[in-house]
Amino acid sequence: MSANKILIVDDEQAIVRLLSMSLKSDGYETCTAFSGEEALDVLKKQSPDIVVTDIKMPGMDGLALLKKIKELYPEKEVIIVTGHGDIDSTITALQYGASDFINKPVRDEALAIALDRAKTKITIRQQLASYTQDLEDKVAEVTKEIRRKSNFQRLLIHSSHDAIVAFDQDWQIVVYNPEAARIFDKKAGEVLGKMTIDDLYTPELAQYFRKEAKNKANDRDMPWQEMAMETREKKQIPVRYATNVLHEKNEFMGIVNFFQDLTEIKRLEKELIQSERMAAIGQTVSGLAHYVKNILIGLKGGSYVVDVGLQNNDMEKLNTGWQTIKKNITRVGDLTQDMLTYSKERKPEPELCYPNEIVEEVVDLVTDFANGHNIDIVKSCDPEMGEMYLDTRTVHRALLNLVNNAIEACLEEETESRQFTVKIKTGKADDGSAVFEVSDNGCGMDAETKGKLFTPMFSSKGGKGTGLGLLVTKKLVAEHNGTIDIETSLGYGSVFTMKLPEKPGTARDVNDKKEV
Amino acid sequence: MGRKVLVVDDDPDVRSFVVTVLEENQYTPLMACDGVEGLEMIQKEMPDLVILDVLMPRGSGIRLYRHLKTDDILKAIPVIMFTGIALRSFLKSQKVLEEFKGEKVPEPDIYLEKPVEPQELVDAIRKKIS
Repeated sequence: MSANKILIVDDEQAIVRLLSMSLKSDGYETCTAFSGEEALDVLKKQSPDIVVTDIKMPGMDGLALLKKIKELYPEKEVIIVTGHGDIDSTITALQYGASDFINKPVRDEALAIALDRAKTKITIRQQLASYTQDLEDKVAEVTKEIRRKSNFQRLLIHSSHDAIVAFDQDWQIVVYNPEAARIFDKKAGEVLGKMTIDDLYTPELAQYFRKEAKNKANDRDMPWQEMAMETREKKQIPVRYATNVLHEKNEFMGIVNFFQDLTEIKRLEKELIQSERMAAIGQTVSGLAHYVKNILIGLKGGSYVVDVGLQNNDMEKLNTGWQTIKKNITRVGDLTQDMLTYSKERKPEPELCYPNEIVEEVVDLVTDFANGHNIDIVKSCDPEMGEMYLDTRTVHRALLNLVNNAIEACLEEETESRQFTVKIKTGKADDGSAVFEVSDNGCGMDAETKGKLFTPMFSSKGGKGTGLGLLVTKKLVAEHNGTIDIETSLGYGSVFTMKLPEKPGTARDVNDKKEV
Repeated sequence: MGRKVLVVDDDPDVRSFVVTVLEENQYTPLMACDGVEGLEMIQKEMPDLVILDVLMPRGSGIRLYRHLKTDDILKAIPVIMFTGIALRSFLKSQKVLEEFKGEKVPEPDIYLEKPVEPQELVDAIRKKIS
């Protein structure tokens, strides 16, 4: 908008008319007044942009009018017309805010220049006002956006399922959300801006985070960790926590802690373990019941055969029945032994022995049975084994279990054309351990069966196994600080490799000392 | 001598028990210790009845049973299942096999869960052959 309307004020009517005509011919719109009072009236009614006023007028003079105009309409520009040499008034006029002054008699060029300046001033003022308005609008908008974002972040922190606690550079608590209030059992009002890290955490925990903040000065993130956190009220809470050290331009700003309450998860975990244990016990009992039932079948059958033998005076029958009974008594004995071995801790008693001789003993025990079922037993003993310090009971028992399993794996396999073989191989490992390898080309195992091998009471032999055999073997081997490795392929056979270090007692002593 | 009864069981204790029961009741006992031997014996001797264990090496009782019941001649031989496996588990395994193989086999004539009293066994045998 360009300033185009000019009020001319002078008590000399001729001058007013002259100027008015001159300005109109220059394209301006004009209005006129012949006194200061009238000028104010016209200003009010017609709202000109620029006022050109004579300084000397009866009644309200130009200076008084100028003062009044600046009071009422500070945006209007006023040009003062002065008599020649009236410096004092001119200075006063400028002090009052006149935009310019011109001398009498008014020359057209001087007036034009003064008007141009006034117009420029008005334009600049208008632009300034519009910029200011823009700026204010922008500030308002940005403020609103910032408020919205900050609200959002506040809500975010507020509603987080993690407890969030942040400290400033002086370790004052500046962020503390409801979950934090729940975990630490203190209201935000008591904490925010009132407590430091030392008031909220136990001294140990506060010390820990202070140290972390120092240590991790260049490393912003600390990974999630778990701990059993103690509150100042001595409440133990299992938590998962993470810490961020906050920096701005390399300057320490504070730290923020995130805590996740694991109480519920820990409870569920415990419940799960408990129910798994119950399931294992159930499996144990049913596995045992099955095995005991088989023994019962043998005993019942045997005693019937004995009865018949007695009745008929048939010694052969008597003998058959008696053998059955004795065999099943042995099975009860073995089962009891297995159960005791499994449940009791036993320290191996290493003694100087010939491992290859133990292999011979085991082979002697199983050969008749194996040959009766068309299974070859092949042994390949490394003579280098010589004498070694091993627990002979462990070697004997574990080996017998593994060989029996291998034989049974052959009995299970239904490929009829196969010549079944169980191989027992001995040797020394690089570290001097005794190695016993029992391999068969029987039924093998699928991955699932292999995975369950060492779970209590898992038997793949129907009712024929106690489910304790491998478990006992594993326990004996573990007590001997040894290992068992299994390679197996369903339908093609298995290889069990048992490794026993010499003198396990010595290694155990070292461990014992460490614990002390 | 009485009628021929074949007992197929891998457990020698069970065999001697069943054989004794059979002898005491004037049957002629025959023995086999696994599924393969059992089938050979059946084909050779054509027993009047088979007492069959379920879990055995070399051709399980399940396989032998299915073989008997799908053979035109042999399916007439009555079979007593004599096992430590619960009937429910046995029938379930049959159902799985039936779906898998697409052939339906009649349920065993008599299913005895070990241990059994000698008299129960005798009653079961008498039910099938006198």
